[in-house]
Amino acid sequence: MKNNGNMSVLLKGILKENPVLVLILGTCPTLATTNNVAGAFGMGIAAMAVLVCSNMLISLLRKIIPDSVRIPCYIVIIAGFVTIVQMIVQAYFPALYEMLGVYLALITVNCIILGRAEMFASKNSVGKSVLDGLGMGLGFTIALCAMAFIREVFGNASFAGIAIPFLEPYKIAFLVKAPGGMLVYGLLIALVYVITQGKAPVKTEFSCAGCPSAGSCQTGACQKKGGEQ
Amino acid sequence: MKKYVKSTLVLVCICATISLMLAATNAITAPIIEKNQNAAANAALLEVMPDGKDFEEIDITSFTLPATVTEAYKEAGGGHVIKLATTGYSSGLVIMCGVNADGTVSGTVCLASGETLGHEKTYGENFTGKNVSEVEAVDTISGATKTTAAYRGAVKDAINAATILGGGSVDIRSDEEILADNLAAALPAGEGKFTKQFITEVIEGIDAVYRAENGKGAVCVIGEQFIGVDASGVVVSDVDAGLADQISAQMEILNASVETELDLSAYTGLHTSLVSAAKTATGNYVLDMKGAGYGINGGDEYHPASGEYIYIRVSMTKDGKIIDCLTVSQAETDNIGSACADEAFYGQFVGKTEADYDAIDGISGATITTNGYKKAILRAFESVKILEGGAGNEE
Repeated sequence: MKNNGNMSVLLKGILKENPVLVLILGTCPTLATTNNVAGAFGMGIAAMAVLVCSNMLISLLRKIIPDSVRIPCYIVIIAGFVTIVQMIVQAYFPALYEMLGVYLALITVNCIILGRAEMFASKNSVGKSVLDGLGMGLGFTIALCAMAFIREVFGNASFAGIAIPFLEPYKIAFLVKAPGGMLVYGLLIALVYVITQGKAPVKTEFSCAGCPSAGSCQTGACQKKGGEQ
Repeated sequence: MKKYVKSTLVLVCICATISLMLAATNAITAPIIEKNQNAAANAALLEVMPDGKDFEEIDITSFTLPATVTEAYKEAGGGHVIKLATTGYSSGLVIMCGVNADGTVSGTVCLASGETLGHEKTYGENFTGKNVSEVEAVDTISGATKTTAAYRGAVKDAINAATILGGGSVDIRSDEEILADNLAAALPAGEGKFTKQFITEVIEGIDAVYRAENGKGAVCVIGEQFIGVDASGVVVSDVDAGLADQISAQMEILNASVETELDLSAYTGLHTSLVSAAKTATGNYVLDMKGAGYGINGGDEYHPASGEYIYIRVSMTKDGKIIDCLTVSQAETDNIGSACADEAFYGQFVGKTEADYDAIDGISGATITTNGYKKAILRAFESVKILEGGAGNEE
């Protein structure tokens, strides 16, 4: 997999290894920020910015960071970028800042970012890591927007805050609530599975072979580490 | 060992670098964020001052402002926006009032209200463009007198506060404070503690007498004048000799007043409204009456009757002219009938006779209280006639 072209590194995040719909990472912000398309888009872009920056920096430092303190190092780097993004959003997009609220700060603990840092950036070149960040960020954004589109248009009869009058009598308010979000999430996961015809890696058993991240994982690393613990 | 040193160093370096990046970003974004937040806060200010710009909050603790003022903002054009919290009919109003540099109101909105009526929403529009004296002339709304009067008071406070913040000076003391200050100035020996004397003798040319609670004399009020008199009746304030003599003479009458309790069982035909009666050496009567107001005759679902009478003290000449009148106690409905305890109400009876006592202003919204009070006053006139040996109006 490592020998694949840069394009595939970028594209795999969009569908085949979509962080939200295939890797099932970052579920919390996915459910929380997808009742409005604008919020979902903002969340996706913010997460993408953090992802690209942190992937780049972690990849740069991958030879310097000692293995024993890598998690604190990643967290500091990620938290730093999240805070920077948060300040920029607050300064230049106050409306978005209001909308995302605490979830913006919570990008810090978004599994996608730490996951990609640990899984990809710490083992690959800077260029590839940036592309991976972009691809995963795009996948995250697209998944969030698709989900928000369904929830907002059919649940609230509006798109990015603009009312759609002819849908007003038919809106399904349930979709905007958390259980509706869960339902849409499940349906989207099913849809992606159908589209990829089950070719996307699906975790079928607790081994590296069944791991959706196996593609970017140095085969056997997990098992070896697992054995050590 | 080397491993630990390296790990620590790397982590420290990363933390330091990230901190630097954060500091740099913060340096760029902090002013913009602050500006945004100010703009958001100013949106409310612009509502009451549409032409205002560059609002800046003023630290109000360094000024002596009316007690209702909670926040104040200064505007580039010299205007001010004042936020006030009042006590109205129930839980009060939060009002934002814009005052232009020339002291006129640029706009007023009620931000929060726990009042029962909806008038506070639109009442503020009445004040736009008005100055302090014009504000006072704005009518209260019947049925929401307390709320709208509090609102109007707040707008007046806002204009006064703006004047003070602008460097001017305004007398923001309440009527009680003004009275207390005047009394203290007229008789420093009274140490600021005075009680209004219940007058039982006919005195000429003095509107009211306030006794020093420490017994060091009294202050006579004549119109706008406050004149101090010491315990022996000598005028201590600087007034001309003629007036001083007159006041001394009147104070002598008051000081010499002696009351004797009357045995009511010796008389027949007295109404039960008369609780007790006393006669002064000069032949005046001091009657304690109980009036059946809302507490006895009223009561509904929302305002239950207290079951208490209104207790009234009246002094009267033997030919039936009221010398002084005072509400001793009452338990009428708060903020409505309870106004019978205000001097503005009972003071109206001073100087009245049976012929004209009815021509006083009743308490708005408290007809039962007013009627009960008036009836007690009428009983007082009747009682004096009986006590003097005549016959009362049997009813």
